[in-house]
Amino acid sequence: MPILPPFLKPGDTIAITCPAGFMAREKAQTCIDTLQTWGFHVVLGETLGGMSNNYFSGTDRERLADLQRFLDDPYTDAILFGRGGYGLSRIIDNINFNTFTAKPKWLIGFSDITVLHAHISTNYDIASLHAPMVGAFNDGGASSPGVLSLLHALTGGTAAYNSRPSLFNRKGRATAPLVGGNLTLLAHLVGSPSDFDTTDKLLFLEDVGEYRYNIDRMLRQLRRSGKLARLAGLIIGGFTDMKDTTRPFGTTVEEIIRDVVDDYDYPVCFDFPVSHGKENVALKIGVTHTLTIDNEGASLTET
Amino acid sequence: MNRKNFLSSLLAIGAAAPVLASSTIPAKANTAPSLLIPPYLRNGDTIGITCPAGDITAAAIQPAVQLIQSWGFHVRLGDTVGKKDFIFGGTDAERTADFQQMINDPGLSAILCARGGYGAVHIIDQLDFSPLLQHPKWVIGFSDITVILCHLHTNFNLAAIHSKMCNSFPDDWAKAEPIQAECILSIRQALSGDKMSYTAALNPQNRPGIARGSLVGGNLKTIETLAGTRSDIDTAGKILFVEDTGEYLYSIDRMFWHLQRTGKLDRLAGLIVGGFKVRPDDPGEDFGHSVYDIVSARVRPYTYPVCFDFPVGHQKNNYALKYGMPHILDVQPTLVRLAEPPENTLS
Repeated sequence: MPILPPFLKPGDTIAITCPAGFMAREKAQTCIDTLQTWGFHVVLGETLGGMSNNYFSGTDRERLADLQRFLDDPYTDAILFGRGGYGLSRIIDNINFNTFTAKPKWLIGFSDITVLHAHISTNYDIASLHAPMVGAFNDGGASSPGVLSLLHALTGGTAAYNSRPSLFNRKGRATAPLVGGNLTLLAHLVGSPSDFDTTDKLLFLEDVGEYRYNIDRMLRQLRRSGKLARLAGLIIGGFTDMKDTTRPFGTTVEEIIRDVVDDYDYPVCFDFPVSHGKENVALKIGVTHTLTIDNEGASLTET
Repeated sequence: MNRKNFLSSLLAIGAAAPVLASSTIPAKANTAPSLLIPPYLRNGDTIGITCPAGDITAAAIQPAVQLIQSWGFHVRLGDTVGKKDFIFGGTDAERTADFQQMINDPGLSAILCARGGYGAVHIIDQLDFSPLLQHPKWVIGFSDITVILCHLHTNFNLAAIHSKMCNSFPDDWAKAEPIQAECILSIRQALSGDKMSYTAALNPQNRPGIARGSLVGGNLKTIETLAGTRSDIDTAGKILFVEDTGEYLYSIDRMFWHLQRTGKLDRLAGLIVGGFKVRPDDPGEDFGHSVYDIVSARVRPYTYPVCFDFPVGHQKNNYALKYGMPHILDVQPTLVRLAEPPENTLS
């Protein structure tokens, strides 16, 4: 079992920082209000709505310092990331995890945050939360199942999620720890010190805005690097806003995935609510779950 | 345990106990097989053309066929030329069979890939390259064909040619731009055994120095997606060249971080940055750094020579490079040159 950071109680403190892309301060207001309504204190990092005039929320040094401060701060009980984008790869090797590993706290995010999830799971075996971030609270999102599942998970609730049946599902049942995240980032991590082991794990994948041929290429990489051979099960979330080449690729994401796992016999489910779209439930990476896939669809529950 | 430390401790064990080495060290860490250079082509030799990735029509290939024939070579067209399965030059099975046939055919001296696109990674693990160990032949291509070039280098240390392909041959040779003609002719020269030597434009962000090593590399995105696979390249002591097209700056930055974080930048002999056709940033997502800045930041901890704007990539000036062969990269304030050494020996 991985190390579980302490779950949160009313009065605990959640810090918000932006280790990757820029986020305007006003886009965080609904989230801040909601977290306070939930009974938490909120502290804001300097990278939220900072002075950056480019892609990033601050220089590498600023983003690193902001994240490091909250990792080390004994009064911060969880860190919620403002948004993804791109940027963790540039600072991950300079983060000092000594204080964090001595006193783990929940790290919450997805997309580019996949880098951090994989890194701490691989190197420190500490559980973390693949979940909606600050922007997801806007436009009514604060009461969405995904955001509410974050509150549930963060306060010690156990996961019990369902997904609708898919013609592409491969039935079965498996109990194993969760690993995964954004496919592009996972492919990018192969061979690096943040690389992840998938043996006897439930691997979940999602992606956004990629060309189909590129999804195919990354999945081939996972297969060729041995990451699909010994899975306990595969959970496919949303592959949203997929793009196609002028000349059609000719195969859907579902078909691509069924093709790359054709040699194996573990359960595979599609349309699981983890994505860059509206459906994005909180998943505890590293924690053992049971995936059940039958005629009714799929369920993922903590065991 | 940190993966890198784990690997280096394995290597240390291997060095102390060579008996264990062959069974415990990953294939990559074994001593590379000695460089295999296919025989250079002579008048009357035959070049096969096949489509391991994207499709091409029989008509589109004619300018290449005619020009190659005018050089005194025979051409044999593979079954995949003119085939089309969505974006591919035939189904995976058809492309595998065609390429395999060309590997096996003792009558062929070279295999020219008709074009890139996408698809080599679908067939690479189905191909049996072992006949090439007995009868080596030149494999020619770039872009998606980077998969095959890397695979041949890593697994067989088989030299190959990184160059333009059939889809870049001018329709009318007489009207070809000089640069286009020069690049196409460099394929003939490389295949014929000429010692290749190229210069590049000067760039103030170049880092001077002299590097000697095998030349490896190719399309950056393709190299990234080979990480962890058995086609992945080891870059230690080598001259690495990279190029790409259609990627966002943030993605190019991320790929250079990938190279660094997977240990592909720290022990280079030298780095050659070819053409990068950058996809413009989306509105409000201004990345704020050029390719030159991105690369310079990544190689700052090291001291080897680095040059930019080298004539390799998805562009007109894309010269034939002898992949896997020893080269000397000389980067000076007044001159940048990549050349094969006079003797086939690495100092």
